[in-house]
Amino acid sequence: MTAIAAAGNEGGRPAAVSGDATLGLILVTPIVVTMVALVFFPLVQTMWDSLHRINPMQAGTPFVGAGNYIAMLSDADLQRTWVNTFLYVAIAVSAETVFGVLAAALINQVKIGRQWLLAAIVLPWALPGVVNAVIWMGIYLPGPGLLNGILTVMGFSFDNHVWFNDRASAIMAISVVHIWRMMPLTIVIVLAAMQSIPDDLYEAAVIDGATRPQLFFLITLPLVRGAIAVAMTNATVNAFNLFDEAWVLASASLDTRPVLVQIYLETFQNLHFSYGMALSLVVTAVSLLVSLVYVVRVYNTTRYD
Amino acid sequence: MQPGPLARILTRVGVALLLIWSLGPIYWTLASAVTPTADFAARPIHFFPQNVTWVHFERLLGINVDRIGGVQVWAQFRSALFNSVITGLTSTVFCVAISALGGYAFTRLSFPGRRILFVATVATLAIPGYAVLIPLYRLMIGLHMVDTVTGITLIYISAFLPLALWLLRSVFESLPVSLEEAAQLDGAGRLVIFFQIVLPLAAPGLTAAAILTFLGAWGQYVVPLIFSPTLTKPLTVLIPEFATKNFIDYGLISAAGSIALVIPALVVIFLNRYLVSGLLAGAVK
Repeated sequence: MTAIAAAGNEGGRPAAVSGDATLGLILVTPIVVTMVALVFFPLVQTMWDSLHRINPMQAGTPFVGAGNYIAMLSDADLQRTWVNTFLYVAIAVSAETVFGVLAAALINQVKIGRQWLLAAIVLPWALPGVVNAVIWMGIYLPGPGLLNGILTVMGFSFDNHVWFNDRASAIMAISVVHIWRMMPLTIVIVLAAMQSIPDDLYEAAVIDGATRPQLFFLITLPLVRGAIAVAMTNATVNAFNLFDEAWVLASASLDTRPVLVQIYLETFQNLHFSYGMALSLVVTAVSLLVSLVYVVRVYNTTRYD
Repeated sequence: MQPGPLARILTRVGVALLLIWSLGPIYWTLASAVTPTADFAARPIHFFPQNVTWVHFERLLGINVDRIGGVQVWAQFRSALFNSVITGLTSTVFCVAISALGGYAFTRLSFPGRRILFVATVATLAIPGYAVLIPLYRLMIGLHMVDTVTGITLIYISAFLPLALWLLRSVFESLPVSLEEAAQLDGAGRLVIFFQIVLPLAAPGLTAAAILTFLGAWGQYVVPLIFSPTLTKPLTVLIPEFATKNFIDYGLISAAGSIALVIPALVVIFLNRYLVSGLLAGAVK
């Protein structure tokens, strides 16, 4: 490679070595090629094709303008999947935030063996989504499932109860799997913020006679608010992207089907390619907008503090 | 503040509940994986396996095949395991290598378009994969790369590269420039400095990036469902197939799930420090 230059200029920044520009361009070429070919080009094509009718079963790809987007408004199945997705987002984000912050506060109290506790907490997040779903399949199964087994031992007659026969319990069951998988992320983010709070803040408050709950609500919580917003943003985007849990546990059932499964079915089973592309752009936009709300709200509230 | 006895008890109860919540479901899968199929009919169910069997694992891995009947799944399972390992390792190696070289260039070298290229790449972290999946599918069909290791690896690289790049650039930025300046005065070239000084110092960051990429590829479901339907089918796509509408081979599916969770579990046990640091870097992007 020609770009290796030995001329060090004393006192200057190392960025001033001659040949740096060539070397820099060579080193970033793989990134640029990959991103352009496999992300930017497909993204532009998604936008462009969403304005056309593209279906391998139909000849030609006529321009339809906003036709695909307008068709969404009268798509009854799609609207049900939107409701499902918003339910997942609402349930998952609130549960992950409330229990995640509590769990982080709890782990913050643990001094001995904290890294082992953290490892146990993080494990569900590290597993493939499919494996999460399979793990919980063994809990929800009507016959030998753990949940019915526990309820039966407690004296309720739940032996052959099918949790996926009822929409409310099916949505709840899938949400629990998703929460189990994603809550570690909230815990890790919030715990890191809690650990960065200086001890003397607490010591000063204790001297002033603050109780434990006061310490939590008046010191800890306000100081980790930024981290909570970050965690909620991640939780929202992840809940919008829910696919594996619903698909493995309830396949295409309309009762539980999230929008991402709807995109998959429209595209790869009905072969409505351009409709699927328009839909995926809308889901992307909505998930980004919803998560932006937290960022703006937290930004506004912390500014006045 | 020294916690009082009540607070200490509450903490212990809370920790116990957290551990049951996190590990209980995993225990149940491991327990089911060694339970003989006949025992699944027992009511009330047993919370601990009464008889231990390895028959589900033997069926999956093709051990003592002559002795066990039933549907032959081991050829499929072995190939899925192989595919998961190969695509995971290949995409990790390429993804980390490409983003380490590029990340160094973005941190220390000045070249035209440096800022805009970096921002454009990292900005794609906000774009979910499905927004590009359909054109990618048509592209891969055109290139005859559907159901090939090359095709799926390329997609994984493009999917995980922005996060690895973001992580590694912040690692390189935190390294002291003075070391590199000193090496430059001694006449070392850029690449020598990169490989002999920067890379060893950045080892923890490289580990974190590699772990996140590998776990991401290992756990992917939608992408291989579309791009790896038969020949290159990974574990994640194969495992749900053991549960059909009419019959769930529960012992088999538990054993398969147990095998698929071994690698992530080992990562969490031995490399959790790096995993958590990578998680945090990815979350606050």
